[in-house]
Amino acid sequence: MNLNDCYNFNDFRKLAKKNLPAPIFHYIDGGSDDETTLKRNTEAFLKCDLVPNILASVGEPDLSTSVFGEKIDLPVFLAPTAMQRLYHHEGDKASARAAEKFGTFYSMSTMATSSIEEIANISSGPKMFQLYIHKDQGLTDNLIDRCKNAGFKALCLTVDTVVAGNRERDHRWGFTTPPKLTMKSILSFMMHPIWSFNYLTHKKFELANVSHWTKKGSSIAKGVMEYINEQYDPAMSWKDAEYVIKKWEGPFALKGVMSVDDAKKAVEIGASAIILSNHGGRQLDGSRSPFDQLPAIADAVAGKLEIILDGGVRRGTHVLKALSLGATACSFGKGFLFALGAGGQKGVEAILQRMHDEIKRDMILLGCKSIKELSKSNIVFR
Amino acid sequence: MNLKDCHNFKDFRKLAKKKLPSPIFHYIDGAADDEVTYARNTSAFDDVDLVPNVLRGVENVDLSTTIFGKKLDLPFYLAPTALQRLFHYEGERAVGKAAQKFNTMFGVSALATVSVEEISSMIDTPKMFQFYFHKDRGLNDSCLERAKAAKFDVMALTVDTITGGNRERDLRTGFTSPPKLTLASLFSFATKPMWGINYVTRGKFELPHLQDFVKEGTSTNSSIGNYFSTMLDQSMNWNDAEKLCSKWGGHFALKGIMSVEDAKKAVDIGCTGIMVSNHGGRQLDGSRSPFDQLAEIVDAVGDKLDVICEGGIHRGTHMLKALSLGAKACSGGRLYLYALAAAGQAGVERALGQYKAELERDMKLMGCKTIKDLSRKNLRFRR
Repeated sequence: MNLNDCYNFNDFRKLAKKNLPAPIFHYIDGGSDDETTLKRNTEAFLKCDLVPNILASVGEPDLSTSVFGEKIDLPVFLAPTAMQRLYHHEGDKASARAAEKFGTFYSMSTMATSSIEEIANISSGPKMFQLYIHKDQGLTDNLIDRCKNAGFKALCLTVDTVVAGNRERDHRWGFTTPPKLTMKSILSFMMHPIWSFNYLTHKKFELANVSHWTKKGSSIAKGVMEYINEQYDPAMSWKDAEYVIKKWEGPFALKGVMSVDDAKKAVEIGASAIILSNHGGRQLDGSRSPFDQLPAIADAVAGKLEIILDGGVRRGTHVLKALSLGATACSFGKGFLFALGAGGQKGVEAILQRMHDEIKRDMILLGCKSIKELSKSNIVFR
Repeated sequence: MNLKDCHNFKDFRKLAKKKLPSPIFHYIDGAADDEVTYARNTSAFDDVDLVPNVLRGVENVDLSTTIFGKKLDLPFYLAPTALQRLFHYEGERAVGKAAQKFNTMFGVSALATVSVEEISSMIDTPKMFQFYFHKDRGLNDSCLERAKAAKFDVMALTVDTITGGNRERDLRTGFTSPPKLTLASLFSFATKPMWGINYVTRGKFELPHLQDFVKEGTSTNSSIGNYFSTMLDQSMNWNDAEKLCSKWGGHFALKGIMSVEDAKKAVDIGCTGIMVSNHGGRQLDGSRSPFDQLAEIVDAVGDKLDVICEGGIHRGTHMLKALSLGAKACSGGRLYLYALAAAGQAGVERALGQYKAELERDMKLMGCKTIKDLSRKNLRFRR
C-alpha cells in the first residue's frame, strides 16, 4: 500500500498505521476513556442529510472563504497538533508547505517540534499559532511576541486542556515524548525500521518553541500528559484570555469552547473567533460533539464572531454540513496527521487534494456556486 | 495481565475473569433474561452529552458530598453486594478497608460473608446495612438489632427482590451458595487453583447474618434465585416498610425504587433516601435504567430525600452525568467487585483511586470546582 492507494481518511489511517511504531500511531488514533466522544464526533454528521438543489447552473464553484481576516482557498485548514516530527521526520515543515500550496491555514502547536521562526522562514502561507497558558507567564509572553515578529496571522488559546485527558492507549503503550523504549514498544519500533532510521538520523527531537525555557518533554522522557499537568496553568480564567487578546492585538480564537454561555463570553471579551472543539475526543469523554452543538452556538453568536468547527471531519460532505449550519470554516487534526504519517508533505498534499476535490464535487452536486450559498435549507435532520 | 495493567472497569473485569472459577465470574457478570436492562444501564449514559464550561480557574476540586447526614469525600459509595468472600478470600474486609481509605460509605449486604460486628470494629467510615425482608420475623429483628448495635448509619431495605431474577448464566453454570462442585463447574474450579486454595484455607464460608436462622446458603447449597424465592416474604407491603422504618429510627432508604409514585410514597413513610436501581439488571429484564428514570424522580422528590443513582456506572463521567441531573450520589456493585476479585483490597483501592482521579480530571474539564456546581445546564440530550 502506498499514497496512490489512499482515497480517503481510512486509507491514510491504514497507511500511517503501517508506517508508524504502534505507540505513536495510537497516540494520534486514540481518545480519552472509552472513546465515545471520539466516535460520536464523526457519527454526529450522520444525524442529518444534505438535500441538493438541481439545475442551478453551478459551473465552477468557488471554494474560498474568509477566516481570521484572510481569504483562504479551501474552507478547511490544518488544526494545530503537537509533535509532528514524531509522525514524519519533516514534521511541521511538511504540513506548513502543503497548507501553503493549497492556500489554507497551517497551525502551529505550542508543543510543535519546529520553532515559530523556522516555519515562518519556509512558508509564506497564512499561519495560526496555538497557545497554552503555562504556569510561567514569561514563557506565554515570549511565545506571543515571537509569533507577532514572525508574521503569524492568528492566535488561538486552547481552553479545554487545563488537565490532561485520560488517554488509556498511551498508558498501555507507554507513549512518552521523546519516545521511550519499553519492552512492549521496542518490538514495534524495530518493526518500523524506516521510521526509526529517519527519526534518529534527522534533527534531534525537541519541543522547539519551549525547549529554551523548560527541559520537560525534550531532554527528559516525560509523558505528554505529565507535561500538560505540570506546565499548564489549571487556574486559567477569563482574565488570562483577555490578557492574551490585548497583548496579541490581532485575530484571536478560543479553542475548545462548547457551551453557549462561553461562546457569548468569548464575544464579550473581544475574541474574533471560537473553535468549537472537544480536542478530538481526547479530553472529556462523554462530552458533546462539536457538530451536535453547532446549531445552538450558531444561533447564539453567528455574525458576532467566526465559528470554526473542529472534530470528526473526515469528508468534504462533513465540511459542507458544518458550513450549512453556520460554521465559518472547519479544521482537522487526525485528518491530516495520518496523511503526514503516511507520506510526509506529499501525504498532506494528497489529503488536501482529496478534500478539495470532494468539496468541489459535492458543491456541484448540491447546486451551490459558493460557500455563501450554503445554508440550513440544505439540511434535514433525521 | 496483572493489577498494574488495569486502567478501567473493563480491565478489572478481564482480570477477574482470569482469576475466578467461571460460575463465580458469571454470577457477578450476569443479569436477568436477555440482559437487555443490564446493557441499557450503561448505554443510557451515552444518550446525553456533557457540555463543559471553560476558563473557570479550576486548580482545586472538592468531590465531597453529604448523604444521609454523613459527609463523604467522594460522590459515590460501594453498594451492598452479597457473598464477597467468594470473589476474594478477604471479601468484605477488603472492601470495607478500601472504603475507609477513601472515606466513602460501605454498604454491607444481609448476605455478607463477614459480620456487621466485625466490620464495625474494623472501620469507622459511614456504613449502610442492606436488608431483605424474610418470612422469618426473628431473622428480621435480629438483623435490625445487630446493625443498630454495630452502629450502622443507614438501613436500606431492598424492595426489588421479592423473588429471584431469572439469571440464566447461573442456571447454565450451576452457581450456588456455597459453591457446589458439579461436573460442569468442576473443570473451571480445577483450572483456577489459587481461588480454590484460598477458598478452602482462609476460613469457613459463612453468612453470619442469616445462618442462625436458615441453612440455605451456608450448610445447604442454594442458588441465589432459589434463596430469594423461598426465604423472602413476597407479601411485603408499604405497611411493612413503614414499620421497619420507624423501628430502625435512623436514616432509612428503599433500594430499588423506579417509579415516581413509589418515590413519593417513600417520602410519605419517612425514608431519608432512595436508591434508583434495577438491581444491576439482575431482576426484571426490560425494566428502565436508573439513569433514564433519574430526572423524573429527582423532579418529584429530589428536595425531600437523597436520591442515589445506582447501576451501569463504569466511569467518572457517568457519575458526573447522574449528579448533573440531580442525584445526590452514585453507587455500584460491579463498580468494585471485579477489582475485588482481581486483587482483593489492593484491587478495590486501585479502582477507587481511578474513579477519584477520573472525577477530579473530569470536574476540571467541565469547569466545576464542587459537586454543587454540577447542574442540568451541563447536559444536552441527543435528539
